[in-house]
Amino acid sequence: MKTTKRQLPKSVILGLAAILLPVAAQATSESPQHIQKLYDENCASCHGSDHGGFIAPGLNSDTLKGRSPTALRSLIMTGSFDTLMPPFFGRLSDDEIRGLVKHLQTTPKQANPAWTIDDIKASIKVYVEDESKLPAKPIYDIDNIDNIIGVAARGKYGRGSGSKAVFINSVTHKQIGEIPTGTAAHIIDYNPANPRWAYVKTDTAEIFKVDLYSMQAVRSVKTGFNGPGLGVSRDGKYIMAGSYVPHNAVILDADTLEPLKTFELEGIDPDGKMVTSDSGMIIGTPFDDIFAIALENAGQVWVVDLKEGFPVTKIENVGRHLHDAFLTHGGSKLMVASYDDSIVTAIDLKDRKIIKKLEAGCVPHVGGGAAVEVDGRTLGFGTNFGDCDKMVVSVWDLDKMEVVKQIPVDGGTESPAAHANAPYVAVDIISKDKRARTIQLIDKKSLEVVKTLDVGGHAYFPEYSADGKFLYVSAGYSGDEVVVYDSASLQKVATISMESPAGIFSHGRVRYMTRGLSPDEMKGAK
Amino acid sequence: MKTAAVTSILMIGFLSAHSANAASLYAGQSKAAAVCSQCHGIRSPSADAPFPPLAGRDADYLESALKQYRDKTRVSDIMNNIAGSLTDRDIENIAAYYAKQKP
Repeated sequence: MKTTKRQLPKSVILGLAAILLPVAAQATSESPQHIQKLYDENCASCHGSDHGGFIAPGLNSDTLKGRSPTALRSLIMTGSFDTLMPPFFGRLSDDEIRGLVKHLQTTPKQANPAWTIDDIKASIKVYVEDESKLPAKPIYDIDNIDNIIGVAARGKYGRGSGSKAVFINSVTHKQIGEIPTGTAAHIIDYNPANPRWAYVKTDTAEIFKVDLYSMQAVRSVKTGFNGPGLGVSRDGKYIMAGSYVPHNAVILDADTLEPLKTFELEGIDPDGKMVTSDSGMIIGTPFDDIFAIALENAGQVWVVDLKEGFPVTKIENVGRHLHDAFLTHGGSKLMVASYDDSIVTAIDLKDRKIIKKLEAGCVPHVGGGAAVEVDGRTLGFGTNFGDCDKMVVSVWDLDKMEVVKQIPVDGGTESPAAHANAPYVAVDIISKDKRARTIQLIDKKSLEVVKTLDVGGHAYFPEYSADGKFLYVSAGYSGDEVVVYDSASLQKVATISMESPAGIFSHGRVRYMTRGLSPDEMKGAK
Repeated sequence: MKTAAVTSILMIGFLSAHSANAASLYAGQSKAAAVCSQCHGIRSPSADAPFPPLAGRDADYLESALKQYRDKTRVSDIMNNIAGSLTDRDIENIAAYYAKQKP
């Protein structure tokens, strides 16, 4: 039978399949609808609800062409070590896993699903009706709200009871609250004008407005299907969110989460082609009433004025495949990472023009960036997550906009942490072997790696406490804890357990704009 | 002569005590992180996972179960594959590591 089948022309097999499949579907209940639902509920939050990939690779007929179904089946069963891919053995039946493999290998990347301003509006959920009844100050002991550190816990499966935003007091290193998010929390941003509000965005593009005083979510809104982009305006009145699926962005009222305007992300890329684009970083700045948003595939940065009609100024040819960025010079300059040409482009947000393109290393992922003042110079630190021969952290003089040094490190890096009061800039090594357990410390003055810490798990997203005394690091993937070090002695002082912790966000960020700068830098801007 | 016999008994005592302690928790943790934690967690499995917790289980039980899975005298598609590559020493270390964790 098998031999016969192999000899049949493809069209005959397809024809046969068309006849046989509906029967099989009825018989086993493994209908295409059921399998698609399994995909949406288990895979889409990481692999993209359009099958095009998000934080994990795209799963479609193109990307999986020629892959062995048996190998894919066992990969789904056991998960993939050294990645976030969890084991689905015991969660999905063998028939379901086989059905998924078949479905994925025959399904092309889907067109952008519609998610309009009306859909966004209709998705708003209100958990606390009357916000005036919320407590006037924190219901827990804390000296300064800036001592709060938020951790985006992904949960083993990127969803479920382990998915939450966990808030920690960075003086006592004790958890003070947690907000269940349903799917993996990805970004936590704080309201610069009102210390009580935080915003948590998930991989499935839901945003939770969180009251830090009572440690509960008061509202949520679904801004798309996938995408981490999130920014808060300097006056705390607006939020902007951007998606990978669909290709749009939206400005929301930061108070009610009502959508005010959506933006279709499309433009002419550096090769002259008209493309629709994933949303990269979105950033509010203490410098002006604007948002800046990176259009990943179009290679453009848009500056949106927060006034009537939300007009857009488009800055073109910023780079090939933009991703994240950080601010400097009181928030008037923006350093944007561009993957494919391995540069960081400096943009003047005042003139809305490119200042200069700086060499970055290998696939720059600046992860929120870091900048420190050393001997009168402001130095920016740029991580690179490509696994190339040359693995470096780039250091730029942000006044002269030139490369000062490229510091050799052990592997690819994703996020630097710095603090005005801490002696070291921490970078996370993410290369997929034992190096992933470690972070490396760069001495601010000598610009050399002086120490490597074995954190465990997949160690990433280092962050200093607001006072700079402690360094927090996620022992992510299967490490299942956040590890806290003394910033000067680098001794381990505490661990906090949670499932698959990832990004760490200090409330202090609202004061120092970019990690490593002193709060004075921000005041100078006004 | 008598002294020598006592000494050798003592020696055996020391030696066996030594071999019982030979399991390395550090090596066990490292192996557990690489091989087991994906499903069972480095301390405990995910609240949403269908896998049994190992923390605080009897080391001898864990050791014999792992050896059975490895030698396929206990049948499980997934465990026969995963335990297949473990040496006796790996199994000893992993069992000692999980036995020491608080459930």
